[in-house]
Amino acid sequence: MIGTIAAREIRSGLVTPLLWVLLGVGQVVLAWIFLQVVENFSGLDAEQRLASLTQELCLNLFGFAAVLAMLAAPLLAMRMLSAEFREGGYDLLAGAPVRLVEILLGKFIGLAVLITPLCLLPAANLALLTNVTSLDLGQVAAATLGLWLAALFFGAIGLQASSLTDQPGAAVLIAFGVLLLFSIIGRAESLTAQTLSLFGWLSWNEHLFRFLLGAVRLSDLTYFALFTGFFLALTHRRLANRRLQ
Amino acid sequence: METLVRVTDLSRDFGRHSALSNVDLCLERGQVLGLLGPNGAGKTTCLRLLSGLLAPTSGCIEIQGIDLARRPLAAKRHLGYLPERPPLHPELRVDEYLTHCAHLHRLPRRAIPDAVATAKQRCGLEDQGRQLIAKLSRGYRQRLGLAQAILHRPSLLILDEPTEGLDPVQMRELRGLIRELAQDTGIILSSHLLPEVQSVCDRVMILHQGRVRFDAETSAARPTNLWRVRLGEDIDVMHLNALAPVAGAIATGPHQFQVHVRDEASSADLARAILQADLELFELIPERSDLERTFFDLIGAEEQA
Repeated sequence: MIGTIAAREIRSGLVTPLLWVLLGVGQVVLAWIFLQVVENFSGLDAEQRLASLTQELCLNLFGFAAVLAMLAAPLLAMRMLSAEFREGGYDLLAGAPVRLVEILLGKFIGLAVLITPLCLLPAANLALLTNVTSLDLGQVAAATLGLWLAALFFGAIGLQASSLTDQPGAAVLIAFGVLLLFSIIGRAESLTAQTLSLFGWLSWNEHLFRFLLGAVRLSDLTYFALFTGFFLALTHRRLANRRLQ
Repeated sequence: METLVRVTDLSRDFGRHSALSNVDLCLERGQVLGLLGPNGAGKTTCLRLLSGLLAPTSGCIEIQGIDLARRPLAAKRHLGYLPERPPLHPELRVDEYLTHCAHLHRLPRRAIPDAVATAKQRCGLEDQGRQLIAKLSRGYRQRLGLAQAILHRPSLLILDEPTEGLDPVQMRELRGLIRELAQDTGIILSSHLLPEVQSVCDRVMILHQGRVRFDAETSAARPTNLWRVRLGEDIDVMHLNALAPVAGAIATGPHQFQVHVRDEASSADLARAILQADLELFELIPERSDLERTFFDLIGAEEQA
């Protein structure tokens, strides 16, 4: 049943223009950043180069792709619940012999599949250089994994926001608000004692940064799994409460 | 007869507002129950509760003996639901959508093409299979909504205002389809159109302000042999009483009479008798049915009728 719901979401995502627009715009900007990084790097002498080309490209390309995923996930998620509440499509699922958890996982997997091409875009750009220079493929793989996990985390927040209202526009704004909070919360650290690292830990960019440097750490994996699970659980709760409201 | 649905003491509150209070209902296989009521009477709430989309504040719903609250999955397998707005996905094609619905209703993979073809055929969608749902007209969308509800041959069909948006020909076709479906299922439909309910339902339940105000077989509320007659001149009511097809007549105003026609006679006989008696017949109108009278009496809108 999860597969049926996910397949429908993927099909709907592929036949509507939103995903293609996001991919197209994303690729244009990524190509521009890619060109700039390669241009700057090739203009430097060996002693001026502080980081390897892979490092430079990973930090810039994947860093921007993460911002792109942050914008894309709420937009893709708003269609999955919020717009269905408004247009009545959700009644089809609610009236069918389907568990709430199946609905939720189906939609989340659909969202994960739709956002995956966006996460592969930076690696696809880097693939152009494979015959020209030697790249640290391990680091690229780690960065891609980090970006994908971050995108899933954004997707879970997007779904949660989407379940809160039947106004898709409002759902996107709520998701942006929460994501922005999770982006800047790390800065709160500088306001208090330097030793307090809770806010830094809560911030997703700190964790993605480790992946971009090529380090796959269990604590970072746990962070993304924990918060993705947390927001999915909140969404489940919200869907269950809809019957009572 | 097999009892499909048993609803006991069903109530639903939205905050302080009580949308439905103490509804008891029982539906047998082969029966069509019409929920009638003005806007905001609680019809849609009642149907959403029956289809498991809303949880009741109190009360119990059993579908084929299965408690909808305790075993929702098992109970929902027996029901097909057409909400007020058909739950469609405009970006899909008709065949894709129906196949998706068949999967959701857990039909065996091999049975799906046949089920989709039958549902399309019953709802007059044979030529629309490749059509994008976004391009369908309102009437076809309503048909598609109905097709998804009957796709898995549910034993209970819940239809919320099924004729909304249909033209008169489509309405008549849909009534025929409902009667056909009722041969092996139980159907609950809501409407605010009295003639629709009268023509298609075996039983009618009138809801007003969330409460059941009337619940009876429609055969008991069929139009009687009462006719309203307006004549050209003022005559004594005895003249009318003397006519052969008339069982009884009373004057209701200047030139106006209410005439009770004998069971074996028709309105044509009455008209013919009036003309043969050299009276001028200006109007011959059937009196409102018991159901219609009851409806307006109950909702307190008699004076506006």
